Amino acid sequence: MIRVLGLGNVLMSDDGFGPFVVEHLLARYEFGADVVVIDVGTPGLDLTPYLGDAAAVIIVDTVKSQGAPGELRLYRKAQLLRHPPQPRTSPHDPGLSDALFALTLAGTDPGEVLLVGAIPEHVGMGSRLSPALQAAVEPAALEVVTELRRLGATVRVREPQAEVRPWWIAGREHVDS
Amino acid sequence: MSRITIDPVTRIEGHLRIDVEVNGGRVANAWSSGQMFRGIERILQGRDPRDAWLFTQRFCGVCTTVHAIASVRAVENALGLEVPLNAQYIRNLIIAAHALHDHIVHFYHLSALDWVDVVSALKADPAKAATLAESLSDWPNNNRLQLKAVQDRVKGFVEAGQLGIFTNGYWGHPAMKLPPEVNLLAVAHYLEALEYQRRANQVVAILGSKTPNIQNLAVGGVANAINLDNEATLNMKKLYQVKDLLDGMMAFVEKVYFPDICAVGAMYADWFNYGKGVPNYLAVPDLPLDGKGTQFDLPGGTIMNGDLSTIREIKSFEDPYFKDNVAECIARSWYDGDWTKHPWDESTDPKYGEWQDDGKYSWIKAPRFNGEVVQVGPLAQVLVGVALKHEPTVRWAMKTLETAGKIAGAQLSPAILHSTLGRHAARMIRTAVIGEVALKHWQLLIENIKKGDVSIYNKPEFKGEQRGFGFHEAPRGTLSHWVVIRDGKIANYQAVVPSTWNAGPRDDKGRMGPYEASLVGNPVANPELPLEVLRTVHSFDPCIACAIHTLDPEGQEIARVKAL
Repeated sequence: MIRVLGLGNVLMSDDGFGPFVVEHLLARYEFGADVVVIDVGTPGLDLTPYLGDAAAVIIVDTVKSQGAPGELRLYRKAQLLRHPPQPRTSPHDPGLSDALFALTLAGTDPGEVLLVGAIPEHVGMGSRLSPALQAAVEPAALEVVTELRRLGATVRVREPQAEVRPWWIAGREHVDS
Repeated sequence: MSRITIDPVTRIEGHLRIDVEVNGGRVANAWSSGQMFRGIERILQGRDPRDAWLFTQRFCGVCTTVHAIASVRAVENALGLEVPLNAQYIRNLIIAAHALHDHIVHFYHLSALDWVDVVSALKADPAKAATLAESLSDWPNNNRLQLKAVQDRVKGFVEAGQLGIFTNGYWGHPAMKLPPEVNLLAVAHYLEALEYQRRANQVVAILGSKTPNIQNLAVGGVANAINLDNEATLNMKKLYQVKDLLDGMMAFVEKVYFPDICAVGAMYADWFNYGKGVPNYLAVPDLPLDGKGTQFDLPGGTIMNGDLSTIREIKSFEDPYFKDNVAECIARSWYDGDWTKHPWDESTDPKYGEWQDDGKYSWIKAPRFNGEVVQVGPLAQVLVGVALKHEPTVRWAMKTLETAGKIAGAQLSPAILHSTLGRHAARMIRTAVIGEVALKHWQLLIENIKKGDVSIYNKPEFKGEQRGFGFHEAPRGTLSHWVVIRDGKIANYQAVVPSTWNAGPRDDKGRMGPYEASLVGNPVANPELPLEVLRTVHSFDPCIACAIHTLDPEGQEIARVKAL
């Protein structure tokens, strides 16, 4: 089992990068039964169940790093574990390294981890990405696909291509309409 | 006099900041501040009320389902719309599974390390730890071999310099008092709890069709088609999976969480003396037993001045005692003005200024109930349950006090619950109550379906102006959503969330919020390592940084605790 996780909040502009990439992947590609692609929002410590017992996990999120908005950064498990987690006042503090440490100690950590991170431009209320981050969605999705193929997972380009229509922008159909 | 600021700069913005002044080893004054503008409700204006729950579910990544539930209830309340019984029971099962998950994660993964010294577990004798555990519980994994294996794993981590998650614990802090054997048991249960977190999550996934953000709600009911013999719908097989998972969770609560809390409580009994804060309590009723919300399996009400005889019950989804008495004050918050208003009449106009001890210092508004500061959360839920003689709550509360008292060799009275450790005990009591009641609602759902009722949805009708409110007694306490709808579109939306009640700042009368008041008088042995402050703050299970998630994999920012 390989999990692709989009992290971030779709109501907070560039913070929603991870979920945007997930919507893009689901519209443009078809995945084998061994791959699960999910938008997990901002789960903090509740991330653990999505990391555990997977052959590999690919995470897409925004990251703090020196550079221009929209630039991508790749990190592997060892890099994510290098900096110890910090004291928390709330369960939200991202929790990725905490979750990885806990699972490693329990012996159920994912075999491989790749974090595809984009440097955000603007994080504040809003349901759309800034232009720099919008432009980074496709390159980030390609990084995910490349990694999936390296891991031997099945990924096919969807034919015909579906439109990328995140529900938080396009709205949704109703049970009674 | 020294001042400590705990300000976790682990993300761009949006977290809880706590400032305390310490004098003679005790907290003399305290401030709780939300460091992020939470005007997220404004994103709902002009939208279709039937979609509101999808958006509110994104207010917070940890409390997703609770905002979805409160939102559909608010819109249904505005329309006077009843939901089918099946929908109510399915929602209740999701609510219960989410609460079980949330409380277990809170105790073992967020706050246990405030009390448990992991390094000390290396000195434990696994055989002694097993004997101690057997005296409290017959949990099969508390045996010598499994405890030894856990100890070896931790040892391997320490020797490889990989202590990781634990390196920021306050090991060797003078306030850490558990014997090595208890520390070892706690570490073993910390690891086991990961599995139960996963199981509770599965219940939500089966019923909510997706987790962490459920997809099965609708204004007017749920979208789970029911056919007990059809693979594609909610069927007997899936329902039995839910039951197995809930049974397993309940066993963990009874045999692990319960004895752990009793042991920690007995060994840190002095912490029943700290953290009382504001002994006014609010809890709303939940787990409705009918379509309208007039009968519930978990009671609600208010208690003032810590006096259970002041109990006033909140009886229905329509109860004017709740509807008319919620207000928010912005006198000390970074918003334009200094009003106190009912949520339907509020606006959210940010006006950021500098931090001022005597002026505005938080993005959180200060909610008040009937003009009073109130505390919400499991302690309020349990005290209200005891005051209303709610049988499962009374039974679990008494059992907890007796068991902890036996370990401590002392008589423990219910009055000790008004404290930092009391909030942890209450959270466990509430978890056990919910675990029991969840199984009852599973039974109710099956019986109702077997009667031939498979209805899940009533159609909403919008016209003119419609106002409503929906409440939900979430794991962290009373949550309410307030909506004004005009011609089928949202005109105003406000969410008054549990951590706002607790983490809110002072008000126009200068009265402290519950976090602030509970910190005053707390001991602080070492201002550089303010473990005791974190203990009291964590006992509320804060959840205020409800929005964003930028990772810091390069670990550039590490300054969090500043002692001047």
